[in-house]
Amino acid sequence: MNTNKVHAKLTGKELFLQIIRWILIVFFTVYALFPLFWLFMSSLKTNGEFLAGNPFSLPKVPQWQNYTNALTVAGLGRMLLNSVFVGIAATLFNVLVASLSAYCMSRFRFRGRDNYYTLFTTGILIPLNALMVPYFVIINRLGLYNTYGGLILLYSAIGIPMSTFLIKGLMDSIPMEIEEAAYIDGAGFMGRFFHVILPLSRTGIVTAATFEFLTCWNEFVFANLIVSSEKLRTIQVGIRYFTNQFSTDYVSMYAAIVVSIVPSILGYIIFQEQVISGMTSGAVKG
Amino acid sequence: MRLTRNDKGPLIAFMAPALIMMLLFFVIPVIYVVVVSFFKWNGITDPEFRGIRNFALLFKDKAFLRSVLNNIIWALVAGFIQVPIAMVMAIILSRKPKGWKFFRTVYFLPQVISGIALAMLWRAIYNANTGLLNGLLKLFGRGDLARDWLGTIETAFPAVLIYWVFYIGYYMVIMMADITTIDESYYEAATIDGATDFQQAIHITIPLIRKTSLATCVTLASVMGLRQFEQVYMLTNGQPANTTSTIVLYMYKKLQEPNYGMASASAVILIVVGIIFIVSLRLLFNGRQENRQVKKRKGA
Repeated sequence: MNTNKVHAKLTGKELFLQIIRWILIVFFTVYALFPLFWLFMSSLKTNGEFLAGNPFSLPKVPQWQNYTNALTVAGLGRMLLNSVFVGIAATLFNVLVASLSAYCMSRFRFRGRDNYYTLFTTGILIPLNALMVPYFVIINRLGLYNTYGGLILLYSAIGIPMSTFLIKGLMDSIPMEIEEAAYIDGAGFMGRFFHVILPLSRTGIVTAATFEFLTCWNEFVFANLIVSSEKLRTIQVGIRYFTNQFSTDYVSMYAAIVVSIVPSILGYIIFQEQVISGMTSGAVKG
Repeated sequence: MRLTRNDKGPLIAFMAPALIMMLLFFVIPVIYVVVVSFFKWNGITDPEFRGIRNFALLFKDKAFLRSVLNNIIWALVAGFIQVPIAMVMAIILSRKPKGWKFFRTVYFLPQVISGIALAMLWRAIYNANTGLLNGLLKLFGRGDLARDWLGTIETAFPAVLIYWVFYIGYYMVIMMADITTIDESYYEAATIDGATDFQQAIHITIPLIRKTSLATCVTLASVMGLRQFEQVYMLTNGQPANTTSTIVLYMYKKLQEPNYGMASASAVILIVVGIIFIVSLRLLFNGRQENRQVKKRKGA
């Protein structure tokens, strides 16, 4: 568009706007990246180097043992495994339950269907933090306090509205004719779901799963609320306690934070399209 | 598709798990906080009904009032400073300058990092002795400005609030998606008429996204502002002198006491403040008459 204009043609005012534009672009790039870069560089320094205080200095010798420290001394490895396990289990359960209900609401007319759908979409808007008290009580009553099961159940439940919304959206776009053809060929309810609709909804399911896993991975409030034992701590709760453990060993603490961030960033780079569409399409609906 | 008699069983079986989970973790909890907010209860002994006393106590508690005020400031700053900045960047990047895809990826990046990790990062940045901010100030010869950002009453709340304002990627991406749906011919006509990029943004782009993605983002950002917890919990835990507390943090502390009645009452206030925000922003962006039309389009 206009940005391709020949430079000689730019008037003073346009040149000024161009400069402002690039200042803003660069500012936000630096703002998003430099703190992370600083964190990473700090995590590779010795405490002495770090305390010397020059934010732009690079570590003389990268201190990878800070990472070994964080992984072994503070039991970061175990917490990472907990997060991966809880995240995968909750995502699988969530996506399965959501696909089943999305299929019903997308393909069939039945009594109360629209009310159910309204209930699901309203769920997206509820400030879940406000429900800390009932969640705490319910998980206790179910005998799931301080268990993997409690975390998995809670995580998959709070993701149901979003996943149903994303998966149903995709199922709505599958033409009825495809399913009707299967129906005429004698495929039953289950057969049509598992052999026709589910494979065709792949992209919606992957988006929902990516979003759900990221939510689980980053979740802190409820993990902090319904788990007390160190053995079950997820990575987010874990790094919160590093502040106490590593009160003087700054560089190891920074290494621990980096370890908790890296999987999110890697996942984002690999699944960028799914992450962005998962996070934004729910918003646009609201 | 028509339901046959044989489909009824599977249909119920398919709907049941999701409905049970919705009931257990959405419907019952919302009713639950409302009911419990009228009781005095510590979770162990029998709850004791006490009408609206919990709410009366809340409104007498300076720490709670400060939390509500902080949340309102947070919501307004998010809606009316953060989102407009995001809008400017969305307009700039949707003009597809060199490398715009890279910049979009980078701006969105902080969004995938957990609130707790970001808060810990910023705690490190604000640290009085070892922080990046004081380090930068000293490097540029303004060491006199260096201070304990999170420990000083004057700077604690602004510090907690402000770092968040410049993470605009989320709202920017939503608005960019909207801007790309605007018909190219509007801009072509405007360019022929000699309108500059700036004039096109003011007269074409902003009016066209105002009722759609801009309204959505302002609402979303305000609601996020009302839900803040991890940031304050991790950065200051509400200190110094409760100046950085939020409703959810207040609620969390009441839950720890354990005072379930007061915690639930503050949850109810949070939900009510949220509804007030959502309704007033709807009115602000749509006006009364157009409400129906906008709803229809959203449903489509």
